[in-house]
Amino acid sequence: MNWNERLAGSIPEAMGREIDQYQQQIELKKQGKVEDKLFQEARLRRGAYGQRYDNGQRHDGIAQRELDYARRNLRKGPDTLWDAPGMQRIKLPFGGISPEQMEVHADLAEEYSDAVCHVTTRQDMQLHYVHIEDTPDLMRRLAAVGITTREACGNSIRNVTACTKAGCCASEVFDVTPYARACAWFLLGHRDTQDFGRKFKIAFSGCQTEACAYTGFHDLGYIAATRPGPDGQPQRGFAVYVGGGLGPVPYQASLLSEFVPEAEMLPIAQAVSRVYARHGEKKNRGRARIKFLVANWGIEKFRAEVEAERQKMPHEEAWTSWIEEVAAWREMPLREGQALPQDAGDTVFRAWRAANVQAQRQKGYAMATIKLPLGDISSWQLRQLADISRRLNGGHARTTIEQNILLRWVAEADLPELFSELQRIGLADADAKTIADVVACPGTDTCKLGIANSRGLAATLSEIYRDKAHTLDPAIRDLRIHISGCFNSCSQHQIADIGFYGVSRKVGNAMVPHFRVVMGAHRDHNAREFGQTFGPVPSKRIPDFIERVTGLYLAERRADEGFSDFIQRLGKKGIKPLLDELGRIPPRVLDRTLYTDWRDPREFSVSDIGTGECAGAVISTTEFDLQAAEQLHFEAQVHLDDGDYRKADDTAYAAMVLAAKGLVYSEFPDVRDNPDAVVTAFRERFHDTGRFLAANAPTRFAEYLFRRHEDRERNYSVDAARRLLEETQHFVEAAYACYVRMSEQQAKKAARTQQAPALAEDA
Amino acid sequence: MELHRIGVKWFAEERTPVNLLDLIPIFHRWIQEQALDDLLIDVAEYTHMYRGPGVLVIAHEGNYGYDEAGGERGLVYYSKQNLPEPELAARMVTVACKGLQACARFLGETGLARQVAFPCNRIQVFANDRLRAPNTDTAWAEFEPAVNTLAARLFPDQDRSVQRCNSDSRDRLAAIIHTNKMTEPEALLARLG
Repeated sequence: MNWNERLAGSIPEAMGREIDQYQQQIELKKQGKVEDKLFQEARLRRGAYGQRYDNGQRHDGIAQRELDYARRNLRKGPDTLWDAPGMQRIKLPFGGISPEQMEVHADLAEEYSDAVCHVTTRQDMQLHYVHIEDTPDLMRRLAAVGITTREACGNSIRNVTACTKAGCCASEVFDVTPYARACAWFLLGHRDTQDFGRKFKIAFSGCQTEACAYTGFHDLGYIAATRPGPDGQPQRGFAVYVGGGLGPVPYQASLLSEFVPEAEMLPIAQAVSRVYARHGEKKNRGRARIKFLVANWGIEKFRAEVEAERQKMPHEEAWTSWIEEVAAWREMPLREGQALPQDAGDTVFRAWRAANVQAQRQKGYAMATIKLPLGDISSWQLRQLADISRRLNGGHARTTIEQNILLRWVAEADLPELFSELQRIGLADADAKTIADVVACPGTDTCKLGIANSRGLAATLSEIYRDKAHTLDPAIRDLRIHISGCFNSCSQHQIADIGFYGVSRKVGNAMVPHFRVVMGAHRDHNAREFGQTFGPVPSKRIPDFIERVTGLYLAERRADEGFSDFIQRLGKKGIKPLLDELGRIPPRVLDRTLYTDWRDPREFSVSDIGTGECAGAVISTTEFDLQAAEQLHFEAQVHLDDGDYRKADDTAYAAMVLAAKGLVYSEFPDVRDNPDAVVTAFRERFHDTGRFLAANAPTRFAEYLFRRHEDRERNYSVDAARRLLEETQHFVEAAYACYVRMSEQQAKKAARTQQAPALAEDA
Repeated sequence: MELHRIGVKWFAEERTPVNLLDLIPIFHRWIQEQALDDLLIDVAEYTHMYRGPGVLVIAHEGNYGYDEAGGERGLVYYSKQNLPEPELAARMVTVACKGLQACARFLGETGLARQVAFPCNRIQVFANDRLRAPNTDTAWAEFEPAVNTLAARLFPDQDRSVQRCNSDSRDRLAAIIHTNKMTEPEALLARLG
């Protein structure tokens, strides 16, 4: 028995098939039949990410050592060893997670990871130390509860996030949940989202003003809005923003449209995707996010391109077929809302309620934030939480971008019981959304790009502030700290009150871990203003820095002046003396403390930094299609070996059509997805023009496809299937060769274009 | 039973509470010295969690941890890769040996030996694979004899019992081996040969 058999009937067919194909790719990779780069992007698009030391090198504090895996020649990507543990990212659209899904996560973390689930700043779940060969079963078990890991990494549409309070919030225009869900599923695997140069992040916000979904720094952001419709009734839609992003240099999103009716929500996302896929940078990975395209063109030109693209797009039923689900979308509370007096319970309960609980728009209900230390929750806790959530709030939970979990629809009268249950499982810390609730990316713990130990620092700061947060001036207590291990902003440090990102400094012959300070952000209005970067502070002196800068604020603030306003008034000059003072580092012989990082005794080194996989590799849709065609051919062979010659025949035919489609798509993306349209376009563009012909690919290779396509009354037989399999192999090979020729021609043409101005200049 | 993902936890008795953070440099040193038979990769630290995995040494073949699961500290080892032994009981012995080697090494650390003991009179054995060893009566019927064999190898001349842990059907299939006499990990290692 395997997981496929055990879960038969529970896995949606399409998801099951994708995972089977992924498993086949793993097998083909082990047989050396798939290129490293192609396999890397394929696994990234299934959410299977690299992890620190996966190049087989690790600095153990004394020297760089080789991790001596037995299968050193087997790789899962360029410079990525097969047996090295990796990270599995799991997409949870809008952060929604049911009790049943929690239980599956708990099981997977125990069996394939280290019994810990990690919530990310984009409402995903991550498991670390996972072996690549465990990932297909892990994905099947998730698929059986409706979760996909597809496109969780790689150059694709990442998890679609949304306000965690959506549907319960007093200030929202309407509940964006069903819209975020429709968007996530529509774009997942969509043909027009497969050719991106980099990742693409989408967020939905229920209002303009709050600091929840942060559309301001997303590639595409939707903010709920209404306007009077033709019947005078409010018509739902969105203000749409595009081209925001964090990363090393943050960009504010630009307004693409003040109002897009709900029926246009998906077509606009598709049109933006098409423009990005066609015109976005592909070679220079550092300039490939859509924010650069929008900035280079300006929003007017970008808008014009999107509108033009929108006009050209062939109609899709799926654009609007989901809308009737919106009215039906409802989270059913488990019991009647019932108020609880403000003075109920003891002081410990009241402190938790004050910090972690918010009233819902619906009378008698509340939302309770479960603070997860560093975003971590154990398998046991997750199972217990599943029970608690079933029993007390009807299972309505969401992961938050602050790396916590929010339980919604708790009847206020049940809050004491909820608190007591959370105390039992160690999840009742009463300091959510305070200075003790530190957000941190994985940093040097597991990330290949980490420079400094963000989690070590976060754990230290959380400990410092956990016990004293409630004794602090509220203006300090409610500050938010975010820590990234490097400049890539995974903790979203540019929207923290006090943000940090890891850097290194050389002192004498040794390296010292530092964090650069980022302050002065305004999170309201969907992150209206990013923080400014100040100088670096040695990692071990960050607690001192926070004490000092918050002390300075308390001493010198003006009436009603918020922390960020104070920092902006002080400016870089005002902060410099403090940074200078803390930045003086004694030689190592006098004090070694600063030369190691938090919770890591090894002498600090940056030699473990590897090649990041955030950017993945740019693999064109055509390459993926050709790879998939090859895989279908392999499947056809398996069917034939199993005696199912009819299935073998049909699968081989499908492989040829797919290979032809890959070629056609490279220059005619709107080709309709049916064999007749593909074969007609292939004949016109590649056969009749002679482009499919090559010295080693005689014209009959194309005829293999035409003959099989026209054979409507096919006489299936073992021999016919065997012959077709041979023909399919030749056809797919010829398609590969044709694609290579086309790519070479394009490269030559590009080189000539670049040379021409240079020659003109010389002349 | 084609079970290869097996875990054994050796419960600890702390004479004085161990600060889990103190284990981080020790485990890093184990990696420097390749102190255990597995390919040791990295240290993972979860001291911020309630009843969590504590501090782990991540290895290719399995993970070693001084963990707090179930509210009881102990040294746990669980295998992640297929084991070469054809019989389940033999695989269980291999896993137990790896855990005992880690216990012995742990007690060899100056300071820790004064704080911690592994009395080895209560040991948890679990199946970390819900496909091959679900938490069911049928699977238990196959799992229990192997646990009994392990118990007999560890405690040949002692009263001993094997009890199934079954407070939550969602938990992994697991057993506790009890015996009335405390034994040093080194002595148990010698018995397992």
